[in-house]
Amino acid sequence: MTTPSSQPSGVATPPSAIHHGAGNPAGTPVLAPTRSTQTKDGGSSLGTFGVKSGLAQMLKGGVIMDVINADQARIAEEAGACAVMALERVPADIRANGGVARMSDPKMIKEIVDAVTIPVMAKVRIGHFVEAQILQAIGIDYIDESEVLTPADEEHHINKHAFKIPFVCGARNLGEALRRISEGAAFIRTKGEAGTGNVVEAVRHQRAVMSEIRKASVMSEEELYAYAKDIQAPFHLLKETARLKRLPVVNFAAGGLATPADAALMMQLGCDGVFVGSGIFHSGDPAKRARAIVQAVTHYNNPKILSEISEDLGDAMVGLTIVNSDRKNNMSTYKPEDELKSFVSEDPNSKYTFDSERDASQSEICREEKKGLKCITLAMHSKQMFVAMQVRPFWLP
Amino acid sequence: MQHSELREDVTIGILALQGAFAEHQVMLKKLSVKKRIVILLVRTQEDLESCDALIIPGGESTTIALLARLAGLLGPLRDFVKTKPVWGTCAGAILLAQSVEGAKQGGQELLGGMSVTVARNGWGSQVESFEAPLEVEALRDSDRPFHGVFIRAPVIIALHPSPSDPPMQILSRISTSLLPRTQTLVPYDEDDTDPRDSRTIVALRQGHHLLTSFHPELTKDDRFHEYFVRECVLSSLVSQ
Repeated sequence: MTTPSSQPSGVATPPSAIHHGAGNPAGTPVLAPTRSTQTKDGGSSLGTFGVKSGLAQMLKGGVIMDVINADQARIAEEAGACAVMALERVPADIRANGGVARMSDPKMIKEIVDAVTIPVMAKVRIGHFVEAQILQAIGIDYIDESEVLTPADEEHHINKHAFKIPFVCGARNLGEALRRISEGAAFIRTKGEAGTGNVVEAVRHQRAVMSEIRKASVMSEEELYAYAKDIQAPFHLLKETARLKRLPVVNFAAGGLATPADAALMMQLGCDGVFVGSGIFHSGDPAKRARAIVQAVTHYNNPKILSEISEDLGDAMVGLTIVNSDRKNNMSTYKPEDELKSFVSEDPNSKYTFDSERDASQSEICREEKKGLKCITLAMHSKQMFVAMQVRPFWLP
Repeated sequence: MQHSELREDVTIGILALQGAFAEHQVMLKKLSVKKRIVILLVRTQEDLESCDALIIPGGESTTIALLARLAGLLGPLRDFVKTKPVWGTCAGAILLAQSVEGAKQGGQELLGGMSVTVARNGWGSQVESFEAPLEVEALRDSDRPFHGVFIRAPVIIALHPSPSDPPMQILSRISTSLLPRTQTLVPYDEDDTDPRDSRTIVALRQGHHLLTSFHPELTKDDRFHEYFVRECVLSSLVSQ
């Protein structure tokens, strides 16, 4: 898999990212003291890499759910989420509506913090260290430096060592994961393809990481030096990974998980837990589906329990699947109009009707066939769909 | 699940519903004690039935309690706690408490077993998570401090001693000078540490139960695991 140009090619943290003064001195992850009175011999220390990665260890075997307000956060907590991710729009809506996606309103995040007792995470744009400083000041528990939001810096990621608050970052392969860890990430997740309800990319990324770890684990030291160069990973982290035969931090699945079976699949592929974004609150019965996914992550190796909890969950997240997907398909190039075009071209002479909830980000379009209605749901606002159909051209009765 | 009739081994279960159970498993594997330890990850009632003792790991107490209820384990766990040794770390300590403050809205389910009230996330959020050295006299090599890792740790806000319950033994307190400066729960105590204040207790034993608000499983130091197996588990087998 090639690394796209938006990823930093170096392994060291660029000096330009170390200007902010928050937290620990850069590059000293372990026992980096921040409070002078507590840093004398035998003192205690806050925000060490130990407590950062330690919280990720406590989240293992759990499900972290995307929520956009305090009510959803409460539903997630009741359903057994081990943490919630506060964000303004779930990825499916970001994908559908477009525009620049940013850190959420701190007020909304605080409301979520007050509503639940489980850890609260929130997303910042890649490279946007000021958004991260703001979230650290609010006192949330984890930051996701996330590709789901619009990147703020195409060259550099945040220097995460400089913060007391821990970070999780996405990765598509081992090199990317180890680069993020070297920048201070205490927790890694697959990137997957957020907002699609399609698990294929998360599987691809997890399989890539696992197969590269297996390859590295049988290499000699000389080969590891060459391999580190090849995958653009810091040598010492690659060596530790090869020795451990796993990533040196906790590794979750994310991006496109929608069912209990998806969650169990990712666990069996070696993930320590899962993130579920749009898959829960874009489904028919969020509370029930959320609880089923929580159980699936615990009992991922027990097909009998999995079959019981997969029963009767209502509609899964629909319509945002990557149709005609090619591997380059991503958030910026996915166009629901194309999907609409191909649906209509199957039978251009039929009668089409469409429907959507008021102001919903998705609309359903149907045509009459001999066997009844055939419908698809697309990530388009009803007005958008109206315009697209007029262009076809179709006129509404 | 090789359950020896001759009791040459002892089965220690680790509640594996959610959280850091694998870390406890690694620690127990490395221990060398008189009996062979069989380690069992407990996810069902059948698993629990073959255990002589149980460790409830760190994780999210609300998640663990819900998963226990959904797996039909809540009742069996409460019965288990009444008769057999249990050690709770962090979230596990919350579950072992008799009552909890700062519970989620609508309250949360506990197992009970220890006569304490705990406050969840007592020192603050993750930004206030910290590491600090602890003095623990009951451990082997007690002049070497034990490295305490406190992650969104619970705080024991009250003890409820009763003549009908086994006595409580405080194994370790944290010095108030080592607490995060931002916490407001316990005032700085110059004489360190007020014996009447339960809030600085970080390791507590009651009967065959053990409670630690920190995470010995996140260190390389196996002395707490050794203490639990030797003092709580093996001694309970003798007394049975």
